[in-house]
Amino acid sequence: MYKNGKYRETDKMSDLICENYPMVLVMSRFGIALGFGEKNIGEVCRQNGVDPCTFLTVVNFLTEEVSEPVTNIDKCLSIEALIAYLHKAHAYFLDFRLPHIRRKLTDAIAGCPKDVAFVITKFFDDYATEVNKHMLYEEKTVFPYVRGLLKGVRDPKYNITIFRKHHDQIEMKIIELKNILIKYYPGPGNNLLNSVLFDIFATEQDLSSHNHVEDFLFVPAILALEKTIQ
Amino acid sequence: MSTSLNIAIAEPSAIIRGGLEAVLKRLPGFRIQLIEIATAELLQETLRSHKPDMLIINPSLPGFYTMQLLKEETGCTEMKCIALLYAVADHALLRLYDDQISIYDSPEEIRHKLERLHMPPEKEIENEEQQTLSAREKEIVVCVVKGMTNREIADRLFLSTHTVVTHRRNIARKLQVHSVSGLTVYAIVNKLVELNDIHL
Repeated sequence: MYKNGKYRETDKMSDLICENYPMVLVMSRFGIALGFGEKNIGEVCRQNGVDPCTFLTVVNFLTEEVSEPVTNIDKCLSIEALIAYLHKAHAYFLDFRLPHIRRKLTDAIAGCPKDVAFVITKFFDDYATEVNKHMLYEEKTVFPYVRGLLKGVRDPKYNITIFRKHHDQIEMKIIELKNILIKYYPGPGNNLLNSVLFDIFATEQDLSSHNHVEDFLFVPAILALEKTIQ
Repeated sequence: MSTSLNIAIAEPSAIIRGGLEAVLKRLPGFRIQLIEIATAELLQETLRSHKPDMLIINPSLPGFYTMQLLKEETGCTEMKCIALLYAVADHALLRLYDDQISIYDSPEEIRHKLERLHMPPEKEIENEEQQTLSAREKEIVVCVVKGMTNREIADRLFLSTHTVVTHRRNIARKLQVHSVSGLTVYAIVNKLVELNDIHL
């Protein structure tokens, strides 16, 4: 189990990462690399040009496993920084994580009957397309809308509630892939396939917490922002 | 097969809420999504937006609301309400709830209560054995992966579309596979169809 409790600027960055290893992804999505030595969170953030408040808001949101919309968002939260973070997370899933799993998966199932390998790969590709569409919508519609809001311009035809209502749980279909492999995979067991399964478990978790940040942190922050520009 | 459940916990004490969450998350056989509600003000809005399957609630929270009114006003008519009890409570009060959980209940007791509330009584018996697909359901899987519509399947198998829809729902529940591409993998792996039979 991970350690819970609010992290502060004065806590050591290495403690945060060792106590909650998924935070290594959060850190890298904020553009912070490993090798920060003994420095504390505030120092590491400032050195990398990252807003410490936004970083800590996301970290504390995720480590405390918040499962309801955040109502008292810290005033110092930078929405630009949050969007930059979400954007990097999208790039991570689309350009690295999913292609990486696909390569491993195709290698892992190379030994099973051709038709089975074909439909499994097809299933994965369909899924990747869906994730692409889901994230592209955010990149092309939601983020530009919010960037407009930040400049004080409000698009009369759009609001964040539209997004909130249509935002689906993108991890559901990868759960299906996991179920199929676990229950019906016909080939002999192999280490590579187990490793792909672990990747899928981790990705499911990662996608679900990414969605949580969007639903329970990003959306409430934008709702509050919209109220200021009535 | 694990059952997916959305449960809202409405309880002012963070300690009790956290403890109950920890117990629920460890229950075998369930995939539980939790929603925390800490104050009475958030109760209605949260229920309205999340529409949970169950609400575990400290009876002191809803105030003058009866559970029936709460269900109607939030549009959660199917939601089961469970009273979360610290101590002995008035029977008249508890009658308004579908069941009750005491903070001294063992995880095992809580699991039985959730199972009992979640499953309609007639399904309880079949649930144990019938996890594999029936011959009819397999026929339907084949039609689905061949790209047929519910109407076409109904015509081919001399069923009503309503029956086809029910079969499809049961298939999804048994396999935990909902998409056509997922069913295609199932059908190929179990040799129900050949790759040539389907257009991808």
